[in-house]
Amino acid sequence: MSSIFLEKNYFLFYRVLLFKHIDYDLSISSRVALGVSGDVMVDQLPNLGREKEMLEAMGMKEIADLFSDLPKEVVMDQELPLPAPQSEEEILHDARRLLGGNVPLEQRTSFLGAGLYQNFVPSAIFQLITRGEFLTSYTPYQPEVSQGMLQSMWEFQTLISELVELPIANLSMYDGSTAAAEALTTAVRVLNRKAEQKDTVYVSRLVPPDRMSVIYNYTQGAEIKIEYIEHNQDGSINMDSLEKARGSCGIYVEYPNALGIIDEGMKQVKEIIGDVTAFIIGATPLALGLIEAPGKFGADIVVGEGQAFGSPITGGGPIYGFFAVTKPFLRQMPGRIVGKSIDVDGNEAFCLTLSTREQHIRRQRATSNICSNETLIALMGAMHMALLGPEGLEKLAYRNLAAMQMLKDKLSAVENISIPHGDSFHFNEFVIELPKSASSCIAELDEFGVIAGMDMAAWGLNENWLLVTCTDQTTEVDIEEFVDILSAWANDELEVLQ
Amino acid sequence: MSHLFEFNGAEGKGYSQPSPIMDVSKLKLPGSMKRESLPRWPRVSEPEMVRHYTWLSKRNFGIDTGFYPLGSCTMKHNPRVNEAIAQMPGIANIHPHQPESHLQGLLSIYHEMQEMLAICAGMDAVTLQPVAGAQGEFTAIRCFQEYFRKTGQTQRTKVIVPDSAHGTNPASASMCGFEIIEIPSSADGRLDLDALRAVVGEDTAAMMITNPNTLGIFEADVVEASQIIHDAGGLMYYDGANFNAILGWTNPGLMGFDAVHYNLHKTFSQPHGGGGPGSGPIGVKAHLAEFLPSPIVGKREIESEDEHLYAVDDCWYTWQTPESTIGKVQQWHGNAGAVVRCWAYYRRYGRDLKTMSEHAVLNANYLRHAILTKAEEAGVTHMFAEGAPINVCKHEFTISMSPAKESMGISAMDVAKGLLDMGYMAPTVYFPQIVPECLMIEPTETESKETLDEFATNFIKVLQTDAETLHESPTTTPVRRVDEVYAARNLILRYEMD
Repeated sequence: MSSIFLEKNYFLFYRVLLFKHIDYDLSISSRVALGVSGDVMVDQLPNLGREKEMLEAMGMKEIADLFSDLPKEVVMDQELPLPAPQSEEEILHDARRLLGGNVPLEQRTSFLGAGLYQNFVPSAIFQLITRGEFLTSYTPYQPEVSQGMLQSMWEFQTLISELVELPIANLSMYDGSTAAAEALTTAVRVLNRKAEQKDTVYVSRLVPPDRMSVIYNYTQGAEIKIEYIEHNQDGSINMDSLEKARGSCGIYVEYPNALGIIDEGMKQVKEIIGDVTAFIIGATPLALGLIEAPGKFGADIVVGEGQAFGSPITGGGPIYGFFAVTKPFLRQMPGRIVGKSIDVDGNEAFCLTLSTREQHIRRQRATSNICSNETLIALMGAMHMALLGPEGLEKLAYRNLAAMQMLKDKLSAVENISIPHGDSFHFNEFVIELPKSASSCIAELDEFGVIAGMDMAAWGLNENWLLVTCTDQTTEVDIEEFVDILSAWANDELEVLQ
Repeated sequence: MSHLFEFNGAEGKGYSQPSPIMDVSKLKLPGSMKRESLPRWPRVSEPEMVRHYTWLSKRNFGIDTGFYPLGSCTMKHNPRVNEAIAQMPGIANIHPHQPESHLQGLLSIYHEMQEMLAICAGMDAVTLQPVAGAQGEFTAIRCFQEYFRKTGQTQRTKVIVPDSAHGTNPASASMCGFEIIEIPSSADGRLDLDALRAVVGEDTAAMMITNPNTLGIFEADVVEASQIIHDAGGLMYYDGANFNAILGWTNPGLMGFDAVHYNLHKTFSQPHGGGGPGSGPIGVKAHLAEFLPSPIVGKREIESEDEHLYAVDDCWYTWQTPESTIGKVQQWHGNAGAVVRCWAYYRRYGRDLKTMSEHAVLNANYLRHAILTKAEEAGVTHMFAEGAPINVCKHEFTISMSPAKESMGISAMDVAKGLLDMGYMAPTVYFPQIVPECLMIEPTETESKETLDEFATNFIKVLQTDAETLHESPTTTPVRRVDEVYAARNLILRYEMD
């Protein structure tokens, strides 16, 4: 076992060797000396060196003539205090040094998830999205030359629609959190007139604080009142608490919830809250390969973090949120939507549609301010979903479930560690209760090359709670190593391993 | 086959995956929640999938395909080294909740970007969290709102925008709960100070301005406008969509603005990916810094041996929470992948970002001059009017097709479609709304003089085309003119399975 730790620790020694001998000093001022000023922009500015010729053609003498309309008092009197320009090679060198200083997940044994998941992304996707026709295009305002992206997004809408079993999806939101927030404002716009509890929505108490903060920022302008739905000891929705939401504009609950719990009570929710109250679900899309699609048990709006399909974690962005609705919510939903149409010859053609909801037409009366979205990342998602196919999705979901189950089974046998919601069903992740704080566990296991998980104190929960996550990339060796070291830590035997 | 959903190979077709690490029959799932039927996704092999998306990409127009003079969108070349850097594991495979020690390289880049953006805009503090320009606007207006709440000025309920503003401005302020006061521009397309004076008062919260404005004109009265708003106790917001025109020459701080958003996907070349991702950081003056979203990156001395091992610079970077933070607008740390690309872009120019802006303005003026000159030579000056008569424009300019529309029935859209047949992306059409039959043209700094000359010649050729032919255009594109009314009436928003 110690050999595993040695392997995992090699990077530490490597870092010592590397950084002891290279003395970097790269504050902005010292970087000035690095670049070779003058000619390095030649490759980016085609007209560098031809300024005079172009100015003369316009009857001008110098570049300053182009800025003669700036009032004197706003003209800067000094050069930008920034480093000199760098060549591509120098930039790459610095990028390797800085980004090489980060610790990518694959360098460690990681059990950190909590909303973002380290899943495999097939190679073809990275190759295809670097095609300039996709990568360097703008929003498809001219449909005749944008059929590729329009059709891709229409297909994305279909893939999401099939996944959640609702008839309509848009072509992406910024992330799962803004999708959840805008789902709530959408629900209020559609249902406020009928609702008994005006301007009021109910949100699951287990929504993580960072997501909750986004929800607050997006809803307070519309003066929406947020109430909470409580959860039982086992993590399931408290149905008495849910009763109170009846007659409000909408509820938002997550499926599986943020603690990884698959709540069997979900199927009763719609009946309890009633028709006037929107049932909004924040779904983990990969889990839907195994558990029932929300559209099958009364969901009105389904949103979520799409990242696990097609996108690396990328520090939390760019990723993409998805947003699907039933018909009554269509005209109040945010974001761009592609529709199928015909061209003047009657041939099939695609274009953006229902734009009259959007800011560039409706301005302050728009359903949302969203303009740029996450199209390219949604395209990666579409490609991944396409490559998976129905059975591939199911298998991928099983792989994620299997890794989690193995970890759960093994940890349930470890002394001094308990599983607070152990009898509940989980997907991807679950909480363990430690004998000491989760923060100390994370810090101490870090020295062994293990990223232990997410400290639940950060979510205002028990400080001894750690959320541990497995994905399709978690191996049996990872799990054995983690269980051994966590067990040693929980029983004060870590020094034995060292 | 042209539709993804027509690929329906054998059951299980998709990409190959390893088996789950546990026997599937031993996995625990609530029987009541088992998904009844899998989504009807396609069953497609990798060769079929690659060919499908390659075919689609060929039906799409990007900057790499050809000249993309889409006004307001700054469709400049996207340097490819930025893409290479964004795929490094040190950015692609990092999780936002990893310990600070694992993310020192990312934090270093964030810190440098915060400093660089503050310097460029004359601001005191920057957050990189907003993931799009519109979200930047929303974030800044939320900060304004909290500033007024904290200083007991909740009577400030109105946000003033000129009628030439981007639609996102009023939409973003409205989402925060502000009432929008739209003021008319003067006849020459500039700010009308009298109109402004007429609406300011104790209820003024803010004014939102784009400068250069959406007609590509520098607002010479901007300092006075700032004075009027500040005298009334309001705050000034700078929409950075057109920041590409002025870098190094002037900045929003000098013009009197309190806050600004940057469109990193415009000015700093994050590829737009067919509609996103973007990145919309905001900068604020000192009095608003305490309200910025959390976290932002700060730095301190290195305090331990451990930190020495992980440090990438001669300091330790930390996530910091501004004192009166509004919280989060995106759940993680914004679009980190976009920030890294834009860091690479800014390093390319460094202090010579000014040269970049000069070339953007040089190219716009040169193209405008070439079009006007060639029109005169060809005797087609009767067909269009300048959107705004000016001596110099900034990075973009407008042309009104009103005369042609009235005399010949040739609309701005007809010209746009004619340009598609010439192998160009069309300029922005019908925006800003204050210019009738508007074409807004922005060449950017990465186009050669030859490209601009050729475009001017072809633009005149399009104007010389008879109305009947133009109404038929485009004829050489993957589809011909698309029926947007049909799309809106029929709302075919997904593929219908048999």
